[in-house]
Amino acid sequence: MSAAVQGLRMTLRMPKEAEERVEPEVARPADEDALARRALGGDRAAWDALVARHHRRVVVSLLARGVRVDRAHELAQETWARLIQQQQRGLLTELRLPNLALTQAAFLAADDARRSRRESISGAVEELPERQHPVDPSVSAERRLLSEEQLSRAHAALAQVSPSARNVFLLACDGQELPHAEVAARVGLSVQRVRQILCEVRKKLRTALEEETHA
Amino acid sequence: MLKPHLTRDSAEQYILGALSPESAATLEAHTLECEPCARLLQEEALLSEQLQEVAQSFPPEVRVIRPARWHVRRVAAGAVSAALAAAASLALVLLPGGRGSHPSTVVSGGVAPAALELELDAPRAIVVACPDLATQDSCAQAAEERGLLVQSPLGTTGNVPRYEARTGLPEGALSARRPVSL
Repeated sequence: MSAAVQGLRMTLRMPKEAEERVEPEVARPADEDALARRALGGDRAAWDALVARHHRRVVVSLLARGVRVDRAHELAQETWARLIQQQQRGLLTELRLPNLALTQAAFLAADDARRSRRESISGAVEELPERQHPVDPSVSAERRLLSEEQLSRAHAALAQVSPSARNVFLLACDGQELPHAEVAARVGLSVQRVRQILCEVRKKLRTALEEETHA
Repeated sequence: MLKPHLTRDSAEQYILGALSPESAATLEAHTLECEPCARLLQEEALLSEQLQEVAQSFPPEVRVIRPARWHVRRVAAGAVSAALAAAASLALVLLPGGRGSHPSTVVSGGVAPAALELELDAPRAIVVACPDLATQDSCAQAAEERGLLVQSPLGTTGNVPRYEARTGLPEGALSARRPVSL
């Protein structure tokens, strides 16, 4: 099986509807792997491409932790700097993005919160880190994890969505960080329409996820 | 605080990266001054992260195996005729030896049903048709775990697992007129 599957693995992520266009689809994940390999080899251009693709996700993950916008951008920058530094020291053997970057960013955010708390302990109440973080980070950390119930409700809601909309949503949110333009090209829609669909699906899923918290 | 407050829509657009750089910068500057708006932005970011989790845990597709009925029938027919032939030869060769004194009382009906039952309990070949290339890997693996014969569309490149007597198919899968879900 291995030979056949290795050939097929390239096609695993492609949308069902686009099967007839196998050739251009195959190129992408291979491109992603090649980028990661080149980045591990110290290729600056490859790093730039990876950073461009995953930076937004890192920033959003920091925002979700209750980090201020300006600090989130700084920490995201530092995340990439650290990763590149680790690669240059030969400490990186594998580059799985965005997960590696998200973990690094989460670590930096926690470190940052700890440091600012320590520094402000002797300061005035106004300077307590709680003033900097709009929401208690520990609360948001708990909320980050979806319960089984929420997850199954969200899946049920997602199953109700039209197949093409679901396809768009899964393509855009499956962790590969495809730019919306690329999602649009794959499903043959305009970028505008793709974003519109994403917003619609988002609304439905938000309702599905929130049901429990209000009940 | 002169800048307009965030709406859920604008926060959503910001998270999706759909805002122009200028409006994104304005929005960011506003959240630094306005705590409720910062919280709104955080909620949207949190939702975005949760949606990633939802998308990544969403089962890729409903996995379907389709017993190829014509093949099963053909195999079953072959098995039955083989069983009958075996039973007949058994009856012809062994029984006359065992009960030599009553060759005429050998009732093939008494032997053949047992042999037939035995044969039907024996492994059957079930062809699993993988729905498409995208799910082929997982489908083939699931089928393989059940000891089914996996036929790869690419020909003979796939492993052909040994199949066991019990296939663990859902009840009624073989006689079903429609595809049966795993």
